[in-house]
Amino acid sequence: MRRIGVFVCHCGINIAQNVDVEALTKYASKLDDVVVSKQYKYMCSDVGATLIKDSIKEHQLDGVVVACCSPRMHEHTFREVVNDGGVNPYRLEIANIREQCSWVHGDRGKSTEKAKFLVRSAVAKAKLLEPLETSTLEVNPDALVIGGGIAGIQASLDLANDGFKVYLVEREPSIGGRMSQLDKTFPTLDCSSCILTPKMMEVGNHPNIDLLTYVEVTGVEGSIGNYTVKVRKKPRYVDVDKCTGCGDCAAACRLKGRISSEFDMGMGKRGAAYMPFPQAVPLKYTIDAEHCLFLTRGKCGDKPACREACVQKAIDFDQKEELVDLKVGAIVVTTGYDLLNPEDLYEYGYAVSPDVITTLELERLISSSGPTKGEILRPSDQQKPKSVTFILCVGSRDETQCTWCCRIGCMSALKHVYLLREKLGDDVEINLCYTDIRSYGKGYEEFYRKVRGLKTNMFRGIPSEVQNMGDHQKIDIFDTTTNKLFEIKTDMVVLVPALVPRSDAADFARLLHLTQSGDGFFLEAHPKLRPMDTFVNGIFIAGCCQGPKDIQDTVSQASGAASRVATILSKKELEIDPLIAAVDEEACTGCGICVDVCPYEARVLNEKAKIAEVNEALCTGCGACIAACPSNASIHKNFTKKQFLNMVDDIL
Amino acid sequence: MKKKYALYPGCLMPTEQYAYELSIRESLPLLDIELVDIDGFSCCGEPMKSVNRLLTLYLSARNLALAEKHKLDLFIPCAMCHLALSECRHILGNNPEMKKRINGMLASEELTYKGTGEIVHTVDLLHDLVGVETIKQRVKKPMKGIKLATHYGCHLIRPTEIGRPVDSEHPMKMEAILEALEAETVDYPEKLDCCGGILQINLPESALTKTGQKLKAVQEHGFDGFVDVCPWCHKMFDSRQSKAGETVAAKLDVPVFYLTQLLGLALGVKKEKLGLELNLSPVDKLEFG
Amino acid sequence: MSIVDLTSMGKSQTELRKEINGQLSKLQDEISDYCFQCAKCTAGCEAHKLLELEPHKMVALLKRGLIDEMVNSDIIWTCMSCFKCRERCPQRVAPVEILFALKNMAVVSGKQIPGKYTAMLQSILSIGLIQDVQEVTTRDNKTMKRDELGLPSLSKPCDPAKFQVGLTKIAVEKV
Repeated sequence: MRRIGVFVCHCGINIAQNVDVEALTKYASKLDDVVVSKQYKYMCSDVGATLIKDSIKEHQLDGVVVACCSPRMHEHTFREVVNDGGVNPYRLEIANIREQCSWVHGDRGKSTEKAKFLVRSAVAKAKLLEPLETSTLEVNPDALVIGGGIAGIQASLDLANDGFKVYLVEREPSIGGRMSQLDKTFPTLDCSSCILTPKMMEVGNHPNIDLLTYVEVTGVEGSIGNYTVKVRKKPRYVDVDKCTGCGDCAAACRLKGRISSEFDMGMGKRGAAYMPFPQAVPLKYTIDAEHCLFLTRGKCGDKPACREACVQKAIDFDQKEELVDLKVGAIVVTTGYDLLNPEDLYEYGYAVSPDVITTLELERLISSSGPTKGEILRPSDQQKPKSVTFILCVGSRDETQCTWCCRIGCMSALKHVYLLREKLGDDVEINLCYTDIRSYGKGYEEFYRKVRGLKTNMFRGIPSEVQNMGDHQKIDIFDTTTNKLFEIKTDMVVLVPALVPRSDAADFARLLHLTQSGDGFFLEAHPKLRPMDTFVNGIFIAGCCQGPKDIQDTVSQASGAASRVATILSKKELEIDPLIAAVDEEACTGCGICVDVCPYEARVLNEKAKIAEVNEALCTGCGACIAACPSNASIHKNFTKKQFLNMVDDIL
Repeated sequence: MKKKYALYPGCLMPTEQYAYELSIRESLPLLDIELVDIDGFSCCGEPMKSVNRLLTLYLSARNLALAEKHKLDLFIPCAMCHLALSECRHILGNNPEMKKRINGMLASEELTYKGTGEIVHTVDLLHDLVGVETIKQRVKKPMKGIKLATHYGCHLIRPTEIGRPVDSEHPMKMEAILEALEAETVDYPEKLDCCGGILQINLPESALTKTGQKLKAVQEHGFDGFVDVCPWCHKMFDSRQSKAGETVAAKLDVPVFYLTQLLGLALGVKKEKLGLELNLSPVDKLEFG
Repeated sequence: MSIVDLTSMGKSQTELRKEINGQLSKLQDEISDYCFQCAKCTAGCEAHKLLELEPHKMVALLKRGLIDEMVNSDIIWTCMSCFKCRERCPQRVAPVEILFALKNMAVVSGKQIPGKYTAMLQSILSIGLIQDVQEVTTRDNKTMKRDELGLPSLSKPCDPAKFQVGLTKIAVEKV
């Protein structure tokens, strides 16, 4: 005979208005093994907690059922309450009568009946719950940050300044990310590189940061506190210890000015020996293996020109890729975003005319370190445009493309209007086609007002197409503020494309067991309360890989993620949740199926004993091995078949 | 304390809205306000703003300059005139170039606008300068048990930017004055609605509809009377009330008063002297013992 | 004295057009650009429900420089000049002022001035006021004159000739 207490929560009126909590409490009191049944308005409050603890003492309870909200909300709270009261915390069972009952049903009578079934089955399970003990695990105090944009830079610096060793992995030759491509930032018009470069330098020089550029993550094993991350160091064909960043190799490269520059969004050219931009960190050159004549054809004139030019003898065509394991306790993912390829909306002419460009391309034209040294020249004829037209929401807020708002398009376009007015003067016509202007941030609305005053022709509407007339582009725009169709003849069209997840986001998510939301961005554990957490303990996300956001929000989220990581790394040991897999050694045949299905490499075959054991440090309790085991030998602690069958039997 | 003002009559009051002028001349001296008549005033120009804004500005400046010449502040009973002259002061005060240009034109009448004079309207004269307490003390025939609706007139309350004597969204000075007379005032949703008066010039039917809609609402709210402080508004609400009723298919019988008529009555002035027989709305419905 | 006489003494039409045009482009550049078409002006417009005036549309058209379209339309003459749009505009745009400028433009462009504006203007030119003293009727249908009521004589410009000289400096275009 067990001594179980049932505690029914009203949740204000959330439960009470649709479930007769009086009747439910009374019903529970009559169930077998239930020695006390009580109700309270807010069971999760101090008063509620005291009620449970006092009842445990008064009635010498050895198991507790709380009928309340989802265990995702308050299971942890009530485990602590039960533990304080003197009962093993794993002898608590939650009956979810809110999300699975009162919130979703209309009929009070039927809801009450269902709540009774839920409580009855919870009691049936509680009778069989085993007391479990938590174990501990040593924590590796180092951190890994994946992605060297402003988010990764911020997270790395925060962690490094807190005293943690950080590996910052970046797949491009330099850190800096999207922000390094920008000329000015809205709404303050801070020079992007002026505020970013010092941070990049700090990363490069920080004694606690091990900067790994031109490196890609290829695999992740382990779990919170002890991850092993496999990385692939791509050969740069330049010995970074010898390279001084002098640029002689790039100047000598036979392909100089013949390869489209990724950093300049194709608006400029580079050679096969190149540095993406002058403020690169590290300030080292890279040989592009995809284009280099020597590496692709085995021949570059008589001798590779770069190797001949390098006084430091830093060019090394014998470099091979290296695979390295990094051991860390927690990971921050800051892999950024891509722009939607506007060719997907063929009607806007991006594929047809060189004078239809994107915001990031315009950004490179505006930048003083860009291909035109900051002069605004239209691509087709290198002449100053007399009319520039912006089209916002290209593929954003579009059920056929990207359903979401890119959150930075409006402000970046307004910033561009401001900069173009500054660079091209008052005589240039600037048109802006928009649906709504979303200027929600601090100082944004004020900036929007300022730009409206800069003789900007604001058309509320989205053009149906852009027609390439050769020497100009023609756009018909129906302006809903005047209810009129206008024809715009313009020299240059700037598209503001949607922000999309990185093209390889899905592969990367699989690598780290991350979840993606419907839009393809990495999913946070809770949109409001755990915005930096993922569903994998010890892996956090920040910046645009989680969803479109501006620099301000990105930096805030990155600092937040760093702080979440520090919370883990600052502990010597972590408690391991005992709700994980176990083995019924008698039943196990050692077939090894569980070893194959375990995504966390937590199941290990003990060859000697011919059984499959569980590595408790790695097991997350996902349940894959339990489902796969043909001999019912894999058990999930306190989610056993016996317990579940008892629940079913009791209510049928 | 006695205070002296030049009375600026405008156009509408001295040519047809005699009840306003009569009640002003009778009641204000009882509150120690001395009114001086100056010859030579012209239209304020506001009705011509749609035709030529510069003309409006010029005419307003001209009248202000005339008062300055006599070293007198102006009392302007018409809300429309008050707006024109306020806006003129606002514009010329902020635009020295325009001031110079206007003064160049004024020279033909040997006038100069300096911007030294003050202007007041009936409502701020009574509420801010005379004061509610003084009025209270001098009331001889309190208006107990009368529920009144107030109408300020658009031109008196807006635009705030140029300085108006009352609040634009929640004007309460007339209420305070009427309560000093011991009348009851009640707020009503249509209080700020326009009389439509300016459309009398080119779209008289629509103007009357506007008037009719407001009066109909006032009637339905059960007010005993309706009080205004602008000859343009009064002309619509009182003089044209029966016609306005036709446009909204309602039999309107709302007694409409100038604030100064009620003030005079409360101060003990005989009703014959306040031009009450000139009100065409059924003001007899109210008994003023 | 008539308006035609006054015109002949005034500035040339082109100069006046230029001045009003200047006012309009100033309004266009400095004010209308800020309008973000919330249409709060139209929502509260006293003339909208009755006469379909849409102040926010006027601002949008001005923003596009479509002045003639408005100048040629009767709709600009439906404004009741209640100033609610100016008072309540969250962007300080003041559609009522735009409408005044447009009506001025219509006048100077030789468009038909509606209603009694011409008569009132003529009256101002001759006696300084929009109308001369009127006989009024009492509630009992008795006719009364200003002097019979014991009111002092009407204040109006003392020297009409000098008054008119001042006015002629403001060009008022032929109607």
